[in-house]
This record gives sequence, C-alpha cells and structure tokens, in this order.
Amino acid sequence: MHAETTRKYDRALGYALILPVAFVIFVVIGVPFVNAVYLSFTNKVVGMDPKFVGLDNYIHIFTDKEYWKVLKNTFIYTVSSVGFKLVIGIILAVVVNEPFFGRGFVRMALLIPWALSGMVVSITWRWMYDDTYGIINSLLMRWNLIDLPIPWTSGMSIALISVIIVNVWKGLPFFIFSLLGGLQTIDQQMYEAATIDGAGWLRQFFYITVPSIMPIISITVLLSTIWTFNNFESIWLITGGGPLHASAVVSTYTYEIAFQQNKMGQALAAAGSVIPILILMIVIYSRKVGTDQ
Amino acid sequence: MNRNTRRKAQKYIILYAIVIVALVWTLFPVYWMVKSSFTPNELMYTAKPALIPQSWTTGHYKDLFQKTTFLKYIYNSLYVSLLSMLLCVSISIVGSYSLTRLRYRGRTFMSRAIIYTYLLPAAVLFIPMYVAVSRLGFNDNKNALLIVYPTIIVPYCCYMLMSYFRAIPKELEEAAMIDGCTSLQALFRVVLPIASPGIAVVSTFAFTMDWNEYLYALVLTTSPSQQTATIGIASFKFSDQAIWGLLMSSSVLASVPAVFLYFLAQKFLKTGLAAGGVK
Repeated sequence: MHAETTRKYDRALGYALILPVAFVIFVVIGVPFVNAVYLSFTNKVVGMDPKFVGLDNYIHIFTDKEYWKVLKNTFIYTVSSVGFKLVIGIILAVVVNEPFFGRGFVRMALLIPWALSGMVVSITWRWMYDDTYGIINSLLMRWNLIDLPIPWTSGMSIALISVIIVNVWKGLPFFIFSLLGGLQTIDQQMYEAATIDGAGWLRQFFYITVPSIMPIISITVLLSTIWTFNNFESIWLITGGGPLHASAVVSTYTYEIAFQQNKMGQALAAAGSVIPILILMIVIYSRKVGTDQ
Repeated sequence: MNRNTRRKAQKYIILYAIVIVALVWTLFPVYWMVKSSFTPNELMYTAKPALIPQSWTTGHYKDLFQKTTFLKYIYNSLYVSLLSMLLCVSISIVGSYSLTRLRYRGRTFMSRAIIYTYLLPAAVLFIPMYVAVSRLGFNDNKNALLIVYPTIIVPYCCYMLMSYFRAIPKELEEAAMIDGCTSLQALFRVVLPIASPGIAVVSTFAFTMDWNEYLYALVLTTSPSQQTATIGIASFKFSDQAIWGLLMSSSVLASVPAVFLYFLAQKFLKTGLAAGGVK
C-alpha cells in the first residue's frame, strides 16, 4: 500500500517537474513551427494578414536560379569546412595527445577560438581581410606572394573561400578536443603489439587509431555538419552573402528575403525546403548516440 | 640505439613544427584583435601596418565608454544572459531529474524530443519566432529574448544534466528515501549537492551561449536601448569608416566574460570529474 502511494506520488511529481521543459519544447518551439509551415503557403508580409496562395511560394523558390545557387554554395561551404576541420582536427588531436613540453599551454591556446563569439570572430577576420588596411594582404604583399591585394570579402571567386577559412578557424577546437577524448580511450597495448609486429606509424594510424575513434569521428562530423550547414553570423558579417550571392547560404538568403524584401511566406518556404535534410541528419545522430536510459 | 634516438629527434622536430604552425594560426587573429584595439588611428590605417606595436593608446576604449552606447549593450547582454541562464538551468534541473529518476509514461518520448530540439538550429526557427513574437507584441523588446533563448538553452542543459544525474548512484537516494525522504527532498538534499560541479559547468555554458547569441538578437531587437552586445557592436560597422579601433576594443571587452568563464569551467569540469566520478 505504501509502495503504491509512493509510485503515484512519483508519477505526479514526474509530470509536474517535466512540465516547464515540455512547455518550452512543445509550445514555445512547436506553435511557431506549425504556424510557419502554414504561413509558407500564404503571401504573408510583415504587418499584413496572410492570404492562402497554395504552392506558389514553393514554385517560386524552386524555379528561382538564385535559390539553386545558394543551395549549391551551402553544400560547398558545409562539405569543405567540415572536411578541413576533420583532417586538420585529427592531425592536431594526435599531436596534442603526445607528451611534450608545454602541452598544457598548447591545449588551452588551441581552445580559444571556440570560446569567442561568432560575432567577435567574424568582425576580427573582416578586419584582417580588409582590402586596403587588412593585415593578410599586407603580409602577402610584403613577402612578395601577391602583386595586387586579394578582394577577400568582395571577390566573386574568393568570398566563399574566405568564409570557409573562418569557419575552419572557429570550429577546429571542437574537432581537436572531441577526437582527443576518443584517442585517450585507446588501449596503448595495441600500439605496442603493432610496433613489435613491425607496423610503422602510418599503418598504426590507419589500422588502429582511425577505426578505434570511428564512432566519435562520425558523431563529431554529424554535429559539425548540422552547425555549419546553418551558420549565419560569420557569413552575414563578413561578406553579407555577397557579391551577388557568391557566398550566400540558405540561412543568409532566407534572412534577406524575410527582412530586406519583406516576403515572409517565401522566406519560410526557402527555409523549410532544407528541413528534410536537417531532419535526416538529426535522426541519424540520435540513432548513433541513442536515447540511452 | 643511435638510430632510435635520431628517429625520436625527428619525431619531435615534426611535432613541434606542427604545434608552432597551429599556435600561429590560432593565436594570430586573437593577437591582431587585441593589438588593433590599442593602436592609434594614424598607425592603423596604413598599407603596411606593423606586426609589433610601435606605440599604443587607450583612446578607443575611452571613446567606447564616452561616445557610444556600449555600456547599454553590455547591460542588456548581462540582463538577458543572467536571467535566461537562471530560468533555463532551473527548469532543466527539475526536468532532467524527472526524466532520469521518476517513472511515468512518455518519458522516453520526452528525452528524444530534447535531443531533436537540441539539434534544431535557429536558422530554421528565426522567422517563425519573429512572427510569433511580433504577434505577442514583443517587437523590439529585449524581454522577447527571454522567451526565445530557452528554446536553445533548455535542450542543451537537459542533455548535459541528464548525463550528470545518470552517473550519480541511485543507492544514495534510495538510502535517503528509506530514512523517510520523498523524491523531491532526495533531489534537493542528495542529488543537487553531488551534481553541483556539473550544474556549475552547465550554467557557465548556458550563460556563454546566451551572451554570444546573434541571430535571434538581430531579428528581435532593433533599437540600441534593447540590443545586446553582439548586435550593438556589429552595428558600429555601418556607421563610420575609421571604426576598427572601436570594433576591436569592444570585441575584446565583449569576449572577456565568456572566455573567462570558459576557462573557469574547464577547471571545474576536471574537479567535477575527479570528485564525483562523473563521466
């Protein structure tokens, strides 16, 4: 009898304690989200009542050349940023896992970009990229590597590369430290055995290190892909998505349609069009991590 | 033996070479930000800026406090970040306790929903949130951020706290309950004290995430009296050409709280791990 009342008490308490979290997730996120899906089928503009227009917004978006250009940019930006972060991240994780003088300091220093806000990082790089007074062009010219300043933020072919560089700079620590966590769990005896068998470091790296940290690699890549795919501020503050959408991604493009062209319905359709990709990644992630109880 | 030492020397040469390149790559932008914030304008706007400062000035910092609304932005950031942190961490603590310790229908579903929303980015939600907030009449009001930020912070806090709570042995609470504690009392008297290093870390990161948030703050606030530091500082950019001294000095100042807390949390994280055996 006593156990029964305790169980009832716990159940009621459980619901009561989860209520605020449930409110945030299902009401504060859920209601606007559902409303947004509805509004993407309307001609909503700011300050006016929406009118139902069916699939017009989606047709408009999918037949718009700019949309496909932006989508292509988003993929290039995401894949190359994540690729560079992974390769450099593995190398640096292996390096800072070795014992050497000053390791503690190096680890702390490598973490700094992660602690800075995206805004600070973007503004700082924007200043270093400056055409006339930027330190990067200045150094490259002093060392005779280039004859003319590179238009880092306004060049048609370079703007996207510039924002990729910044993304790699800011996101690298996440890769270094989550992969380092993986490296630290590898049994050192495996390396000793491999050395006795005559395997060189390159073979050891590909046959022991990489397979051992594969689960962490895939989770790190997946998380970083989601974050990179949706990055807004570094692109917005460095190039503004320009010139002529050369470095625009879905997030900056939807902001532009919504707040500069004032077409909420269309912006929602553009933002919504990538949700399936996003949901796919989220589902894969939660499968991998598991909702372990 | 000789070959062995040579190989070892080779290994360390390569290792230090990589470390030096990585340090220059990581630290140079930070150095340049700090250096520029102390550089007088006449030395800043030249085609060949000196790598090592020849003279320095605190003029940009003075201008920041005397000629701009920087302090107002910092106040707004503190207001939003502290309140949001308190709110989010509190509801996440009770929520995570509920999900890890109490049994009821819908628990697994809730845990899954938390992971999903943790991964759902602001880039997808910012327009819907803007529409919803305008409808509520919170246009250009920093309090709107207190409504919206939990959507980012709460899933993150729950995600972290749940793993802390799971690592605390259940036997401790069971012992307390045999002594007549209810579940709620067990939470406050047993679980919270043990989990406090973890809660400190989670709070720190929650504060940092609030402090650094950009997209929602950009969309939801428009006037300087309501804007946070991330938005306010970035808006200096468009008002003047010779603005980089102000931008860099305000960036340095706006980075201080988050960077400080970050390194504090690193330390906490380690002691927390050692003390509680928390993984």
